[in-house]
Amino acid sequence: MAIVGQSIGMIDSHDRVTGQIDYILNFELPAMLVGRILRSPLPHARILRIDASRAERLPGVAAILTRADFETGLKGVYGRVFSDQTVVAKEKIRFVGDPVAAVAAVDEDIADEALSFIEVEYKELPTVFDPEEALKPDAPLVHEPRPQLQPAFAGLISKPAGAGNVCSLFKLRRGDVDLGFAEADFVFEDTFRSPAVQHVSLEPHVTVAQYVGGILTIWTSTQMPHAIRAQMSDLFNLPQTRVRIITQTLGGGFGSKGSLRLEPITSFLAWKAKRPVKITLRREEEFVTVTKHPTTVHLKTGVTRDGLLVARQVTTLFNTGAYTDIGPVVARNGGSVMSGPYKTPHVKIDSYTIWTNAVPAGALRGFGVPQATWAYESQMDMIAERVGMDPMEFRRKNILHDGDRFATGEVLKDLHYDELLNHAAAFVNWNPDDARWLKVSSTRSTNKAGRRLKRGKAVTAVIKATITPSTSTAAVMLNEDGSLNVLTSSVELGQGAKTALAQIAADAAHVPLAVVRITEPDTDVTPYDQQTSSSRTTFSMGSAIVLAAGDLKHQLAELSGELLEVSVDDLVMHDGKVEVRGAPERSLSYGEIVRKGRRGNLIGNGTFTTRGGLDQETGQGIGSVHWHQAAAACEVEVDTETGKVRILKLNSSVFAGRMVNPRLCELQTEGSTYFGLGQALFEEMVYDDNGHVINSNLGDYMIPSFKDGPDELNVSILEHEENGEIHGIGETSLPPVVPVIANAVYNAVGVRITDLPLTPEKILRGLEDRHKTDKMPE
Amino acid sequence: MKQTVKLRVNGLEQEVAVQTHHTLLEVLRQEFKLFGAREGCGIGMCGACTVLVDGKPISSCLMLAALAEGRELLTIEGMDEGGKLHPIQQAFIDHNAFQCSYCTPGFILTVKTLLEENPNPSAQEVRSYLSGNLCRCGSYVKILDAVLDAAGRLREGRASAGSGRS
Repeated sequence: MAIVGQSIGMIDSHDRVTGQIDYILNFELPAMLVGRILRSPLPHARILRIDASRAERLPGVAAILTRADFETGLKGVYGRVFSDQTVVAKEKIRFVGDPVAAVAAVDEDIADEALSFIEVEYKELPTVFDPEEALKPDAPLVHEPRPQLQPAFAGLISKPAGAGNVCSLFKLRRGDVDLGFAEADFVFEDTFRSPAVQHVSLEPHVTVAQYVGGILTIWTSTQMPHAIRAQMSDLFNLPQTRVRIITQTLGGGFGSKGSLRLEPITSFLAWKAKRPVKITLRREEEFVTVTKHPTTVHLKTGVTRDGLLVARQVTTLFNTGAYTDIGPVVARNGGSVMSGPYKTPHVKIDSYTIWTNAVPAGALRGFGVPQATWAYESQMDMIAERVGMDPMEFRRKNILHDGDRFATGEVLKDLHYDELLNHAAAFVNWNPDDARWLKVSSTRSTNKAGRRLKRGKAVTAVIKATITPSTSTAAVMLNEDGSLNVLTSSVELGQGAKTALAQIAADAAHVPLAVVRITEPDTDVTPYDQQTSSSRTTFSMGSAIVLAAGDLKHQLAELSGELLEVSVDDLVMHDGKVEVRGAPERSLSYGEIVRKGRRGNLIGNGTFTTRGGLDQETGQGIGSVHWHQAAAACEVEVDTETGKVRILKLNSSVFAGRMVNPRLCELQTEGSTYFGLGQALFEEMVYDDNGHVINSNLGDYMIPSFKDGPDELNVSILEHEENGEIHGIGETSLPPVVPVIANAVYNAVGVRITDLPLTPEKILRGLEDRHKTDKMPE
Repeated sequence: MKQTVKLRVNGLEQEVAVQTHHTLLEVLRQEFKLFGAREGCGIGMCGACTVLVDGKPISSCLMLAALAEGRELLTIEGMDEGGKLHPIQQAFIDHNAFQCSYCTPGFILTVKTLLEENPNPSAQEVRSYLSGNLCRCGSYVKILDAVLDAAGRLREGRASAGSGRS
């Protein structure tokens, strides 16, 4: 019986409940030093002088890294899109938290003391935090001169006119938006904002580096070991054979562990100290390492009297902070779906990333799509009200179906929005008069609690790409006892990658699950994978494993054909053995074939690639090999005295294509829903006027706890097995959760909030404003 | 400044020299090499470093190691019963009540105390008791199922042990 499709428990469950998972956090080497980072206390300043001499004299200090180490030889500059980030600051610092120097010492206490002995003299520079301010002609420049673009992105990033603090611009042009607005009966313009939020993976970023015999070995909490190897080989000017990246199961990632983080600074410390060094970030340092992009989305939408969308023009500013990281790709991914899962003939999108003196922003679960969905799904309800329609009917009327053309020019197929929307709507028992503006009569509650607590519902949807083009490579190694190593560089970060990939490998190679082992990523051993992100692993690496197993089975058939003296066509494989068709007594186990063939082991290889990509100037092309689809529905209760929102019911309906492990699909969807709930209701990094993050700890920055959850959380995973294609599921349910809560709050109390999160303060202020304007006692 | 303390961890007493300002979490990880307790926030808000001190869940990032002398310490590594998983651990496996599982040991230890204090908790009581343990992956639905299931298994275990004696 196929193991794919079964809800087996995670294959490493035992280690997970006994505390035995080998996180990099636990990794130690003999003679290992502890590294700590000195960070800038200012948001923008020129460094006049660094004096580390007193720190160097402190007993127990092995090495101090400053800009002096990069004056000759290695340049110490990196970045995936732009080379704009330094291992330690050179001429200037650009945000509060920017690394200025680093210390390696025999223990953490000495390293901390040494940091306090490093003297740095700064000359403060004018600052800019707001992306709209950053666009003004006299705004201070965060990067001057403009940093060098990495060759790989040369064709992907256009140089915007009058660049200044504009890091990148993605444009999408479809139809003629002016014509569309002329055809429209109504044109609505609204602006939506979402703040910086932090990933808060419970395992912090942690890296151990060692440089011995000309080989740099790095054990690190990363989601993309091969990309880290390529960039570290560049930084150290070493061939890729001399850089080795090893990772283990991560304690969460959510996109934060997807670019160079601690690897450069730890490696240079180890190189200088001639001893292994470990750096573990403290929680407050996580908050100044990477964030979700704070984003402003301006939507101008044209609609006919009958509720047909005809045109959308979008300007969006992704604040990528002091360094680019992967910002331009986030702005492209979020920008390209600004028309949502709705037919819109005329679309014009300008999606910018802007440099400011804020913490660098990068990938966070959903990669730009949560910001986009927050805006367009909020506006969908606002428009429905203005044209007097049921928001569900408005959505159904415009929703994409198979054969429709998307804003990217692609003709879409395998769409399931009708089913997803119906499923979500049924869960909250949606009726047209659940829209506040269509309420027939407001039945006044007779009791006091009923007057104070107001309920509202809403339904939303999302369309999301998976990274395209992309490449995954796998090898399967059959041993002489019949066991199977699966070599991949996919990273287990809680999503259950190891388990799902083992299930796929077992079925594809026709071996029992118990003999399959997924080897930990190690760039010396495991072949190339682009990254563990974008909900791509089960689909992309799973496909590579199927190809590798196919290669292996081909070799097994050839060998056993010779050994059994039959034609390859007369062989069948199952349960780890090869049989002559119709003569089961003539069979060889996989192990016997390897042994009798004197092969030691048999290795099958598989590479899975997808093609596509969007043109940076027009946004036309193939945005995604297939499109991720979801809907959400909820019912909230708002306390009009405190402004507190309680989520009574929440449903996430997600299309999965074909499920490898239904329970793990459910788990990821539940988790993704909680992520959305946090962003909707309370998650927000708060800065003071000087660019300091003032809530960089889990006492002041809230993440969802057991008590914040919906009273009832329901997940529906939609499968269409005849299609057979696996859709990744790690992120899809997050984006629609955020606007569904906002729209439900509106339907409950008539307060429309356009800047996240939906705090009680904002709700109370909105209620007060409403009372002032209509003076109508509720 | 170092001080020698006798710590009793998972039933074994061991003398260790600790920095007086070091936390129990640091000592468990660095001296005892017990990695099941993990720092998540460093300020007692997330519960990932939970250990049981005289049977009560404590954030080991907030307790000085020197003050743990003479107390009975239980970490996740001491949870099994003669090599057999504790019913709470087994229920967490059966419901796959984790994703990255960084928080799992803290949850399991807290649940142990919860079910000793309240063998038959309601869903609301479970949510409330565990609100100091954060799961960023959001596995709460499955954790709740696991806890209620574990409570049932433990009650059954006690009932059959009781009937065995009679």
